Amino acid sequence: MIQILIQGLLLSGLYALIAVGFTLIFSVGRILNLAYGAYLMLGGYMYFWISQSMGMPKLFGVVMALALGVALGILKYQLIVKTLRGDHVAVEISTLILAVVLQAGVVLVFGDSSKILLPIIPGVVYIAGVPVTYNILAATLASWVILGGLYLFIKNTHTGRAMQAVSMDTKGAAISGIVPDHINMITWAISGGLGALGGVFFASYTQLAPSMWVAPLIISVAVVIVGGIGSIIGTLIVAHIVGFMEVSVVSLLSPELRGVFTMLLIILVLVMRPQGLFGREEL
Amino acid sequence: MKLVKGMGVGLLSALMATTALAEIKVGFIGSLSSDTGLSTLRGAEMAIEELNAQGGVMGEKITLVTADTGEDVTEGVKAYEYLAETEEVDFIISGSIDDVSLGWLPRMQEFQIPTLDTWTSYIGIIDMVIEDPDTMAPYFMNIASDEALATLYINFGADVLKAKMGWDSVVVLAEDTAFGGAITGLVTDALAPVAGIEVKDVITYDVNTVDFGPIFSKAQASGADFIYQVSSVNSQVMSSQYVKLQVPMAMTGVNVSALGMEYWEDTGGAGGGISTLSPVPSVGFELDPVSAKFVEDYQAKYTSRPSIPHFNGFNAYHGLKQAMAAAAEAGGFKDVKAWNAAMLKQDLKLEKDGKLWLRYGFWQHGEVEPVTGRTYPQNARFDLSAPYDDAQPSMVVIQWKEDGTVGVVYPFEYANTEFELPSWIKK
Repeated sequence: MIQILIQGLLLSGLYALIAVGFTLIFSVGRILNLAYGAYLMLGGYMYFWISQSMGMPKLFGVVMALALGVALGILKYQLIVKTLRGDHVAVEISTLILAVVLQAGVVLVFGDSSKILLPIIPGVVYIAGVPVTYNILAATLASWVILGGLYLFIKNTHTGRAMQAVSMDTKGAAISGIVPDHINMITWAISGGLGALGGVFFASYTQLAPSMWVAPLIISVAVVIVGGIGSIIGTLIVAHIVGFMEVSVVSLLSPELRGVFTMLLIILVLVMRPQGLFGREEL
Repeated sequence: MKLVKGMGVGLLSALMATTALAEIKVGFIGSLSSDTGLSTLRGAEMAIEELNAQGGVMGEKITLVTADTGEDVTEGVKAYEYLAETEEVDFIISGSIDDVSLGWLPRMQEFQIPTLDTWTSYIGIIDMVIEDPDTMAPYFMNIASDEALATLYINFGADVLKAKMGWDSVVVLAEDTAFGGAITGLVTDALAPVAGIEVKDVITYDVNTVDFGPIFSKAQASGADFIYQVSSVNSQVMSSQYVKLQVPMAMTGVNVSALGMEYWEDTGGAGGGISTLSPVPSVGFELDPVSAKFVEDYQAKYTSRPSIPHFNGFNAYHGLKQAMAAAAEAGGFKDVKAWNAAMLKQDLKLEKDGKLWLRYGFWQHGEVEPVTGRTYPQNARFDLSAPYDDAQPSMVVIQWKEDGTVGVVYPFEYANTEFELPSWIKK
């Protein structure tokens, strides 16, 4: 039981970190950014290239991954989302195609063999007899710090409150003097940065592979659907539901069924409570 | 003038048609971006270059066309159809993984194109050869079948895991694929009765698993002495997490990602202590002079990964030459039965220091392998008993050390290092 608690807590932290950027875009822009997983993939590969291939400091690798994610978020907003404004289906299809194109680009540059990232913080500690890597411990702590920081940013800063306003009513926000375009671009930049950062931790825990963007995307979609349109706190809670459920299923039932229960939960929520467990919240 | 021009065009067309006919067209089917696929492709390319430099086969030049499967079953079927229908190839060399080969096999039975599989080891295909030798006549597999791999692995269990390490029980961690199911079944059926190792539990996991922490905890809770890994998809995730988490029990088994020299680089060094069975010649396997020359030429020609061809690259290099020699004897590839008979006679023996080291030959129809008591027609010849004087062993067990070196630990006749526990495990 202690093993499930510890491993569930750690995995949930990682999932929350992965999902929060996706939730942010969905909450503010009402867009399912299906290329979100590509931020994670590219963030992971950037970190790999800087820190492992080039042998430069790990922190520099993290910063460069973050910068790449921010740049991609801005570019995607300016070139795709703004251009196709109002046509959500076109935006979603375009983002999905973009993810596939980025995957092909990664294969071209890095090949399609999987690669294992060195841990950002190497080492293992035993907690109640359960081996825990410093890496996932760091990912969980980073997740809490980032989610806490994001929460404070949204609640206490002018830009954060503007994001809240845009997520509630874009036209109303515009009448109040907020420039929705500007706020949307900032949101996409933050989402890209969070995705890339999540990708560094996710890849360092699992592996780097051109197809690695799919699994985090499914986790993110699950969190949004199960949680409702989303809030930061809701993201945290649902990430823990999914994380604990996976660890419990693996430990108590069968590892083969790990993903099945998450899918069943999504279907169940869609049928029983389409608005999600936490309903519609405004960031 | 128009008449002369027309005759000229006609003559040119006829010449081109003659030239086109005077070619043996080989089709490669496999992934064009994986180390596995590239190994077969490059082995075939090198064999073709050498044969063409010697004047070709039956006075005809050999050309090579490729069809990418992307290691996907549907793409594999389309790729085979493309080679058969659009390219109209004479012979196909495959670097496909098991599931992909199983996908295109019905097409091969339909088109009856001589085909050599260099990676797939699924015993079910050899069973198809036994059951339906006519439609399977074009098919040859020049890697030992998975049953032969598993059989010799059981000896490793008895000689090393049980006798040397003193382990009595195992927990199997197997992926939920056809490959995982086949190997798990073969190993679990024989480990207890032959090696005296009890199978405490079989844990099957989803190939998309990214977090092996809970699975390793479950394995530890089984109380087994060691883990047997059966992993062909994303194997490095499991093994690197095993190393990163410093799981306090030994792990061996089948780890396909550890079969190439790039394993160390790909895992960022998180691969020390991992051992796996491997078809021969594997990484860490000492080479006979002919195979060593092949690797030397390969490295002079190709600068991208894989830096050393995987075992199927060797199979493709020798196998393609054998397929062409068989075609020369049979008068081409069209008469499949004649080609099949000539192919079955192919037998290349490579020696090292006066000892038979590698043999590229095939089991005949009706010929019984003495250890398993069954037949393996059109499958690569292998030997399951020391001193391996009929052919090479069906597999070797290799181990990656924590300093990034790799060597063979079993069979002892081919070993160049000893099986060791990772440093974090207390003996």
